[in-house]
Amino acid sequence: MTAQSIPADQLLSAIRGAGVQDVVLVPDTHQRTVLDLLMDDEEIRTIHCSTEDEAVAVSAGLIIGGRRPMMQIQHAGLYASVNNLRGVALDGHFPIVLLIGLLGRDAELEPEQDGSSMVRLCRPLLETLDIPSHLLDGPEDLHHVAEAFDEAQERNGPVALLVGTTTS
Amino acid sequence: MTNNSEVQRMSLDAALDVLARRREDQVVVGTMTANGAWRQKSPHDLNLACIGFMGGASTLGLGVALSQPGRDVWVIDGDGSLMMQLGSLGTIAGAAPSNFLHIVIHNGVYETSGSQPLPSQQQVDFAQMAEGAGYAQTASFGDAEEFDSAIDELLAAEGPTLVQLYTRPEDRFYSARPTPPGSTPALARMWPPVAEALAKD
Repeated sequence: MTAQSIPADQLLSAIRGAGVQDVVLVPDTHQRTVLDLLMDDEEIRTIHCSTEDEAVAVSAGLIIGGRRPMMQIQHAGLYASVNNLRGVALDGHFPIVLLIGLLGRDAELEPEQDGSSMVRLCRPLLETLDIPSHLLDGPEDLHHVAEAFDEAQERNGPVALLVGTTTS
Repeated sequence: MTNNSEVQRMSLDAALDVLARRREDQVVVGTMTANGAWRQKSPHDLNLACIGFMGGASTLGLGVALSQPGRDVWVIDGDGSLMMQLGSLGTIAGAAPSNFLHIVIHNGVYETSGSQPLPSQQQVDFAQMAEGAGYAQTASFGDAEEFDSAIDELLAAEGPTLVQLYTRPEDRFYSARPTPPGSTPALARMWPPVAEALAKD
């Protein structure tokens, strides 16, 4: 297998198609082309956080107030957000969808075979937390974006989307 | 530099009374020792609590404030809690919600775990930090009457506003009870009615 780059405009269309109103983010190098589009977007609001655990709590607050947020972070931020993923997203039963970039992943390998612990441990950590995840390894996987929101609502909890290689 | 050993301090009770007298339809996010006292003073459908994710009150409140720009949101934070998420000062200042009041109960200790001192207990000043981060307004009070005289003007002005309240440490050690298997966590029970109330308005 070889992961294919997803064009930024296609990922943004999928995010818009899922009805996302707010993107709560800590910048991800891996998804910078999408970030560039998002920051110029007039319909979707971006909310910039200092840390990823803050982004979980901000997303939860937005849901309480009736908005439809999505988190956008890098894999390193997943590890930084674990306490609020547990204490807010899981314990609070918040349907938060996380878009997580696997920065530095070898596109020829499954993430679990990667030499970088940040890539390799991502899915095992999500499994430990009982958070379902779906790999976006090319444009054909973008249907997972809208489906993740449905899944999060059905489960009353978070769902993760892993961006397999750098967006173009 | 502030010398916290010399500042005047009020009781937590007196500090919360000032706020409770102004409570109308604000969403209030409480945390740590102030939370239980607040819920007794101001029981309300729009009370939320940060329980089990220490440090998260300010950003949970930020999310609500950004989703409900026509409604005021108050966060009653702890000094130890804010220390755990100091970056939230920058996040809040950057998002700049005008409807956001950030109260910091500054007693200098981790009260629930047995009143151990905060790092930099003797000099830490959250109002200065918030001002540096870019909050629209900051203020500090150690006297309940002075706080009572100033709060209406602070509430009337555009936020985000941080008010640091110097309070006396009290012995409010809290030992967690075991959670029965299969229990629904407090946060999952608490927020849906708040969301429902907000959706109706």
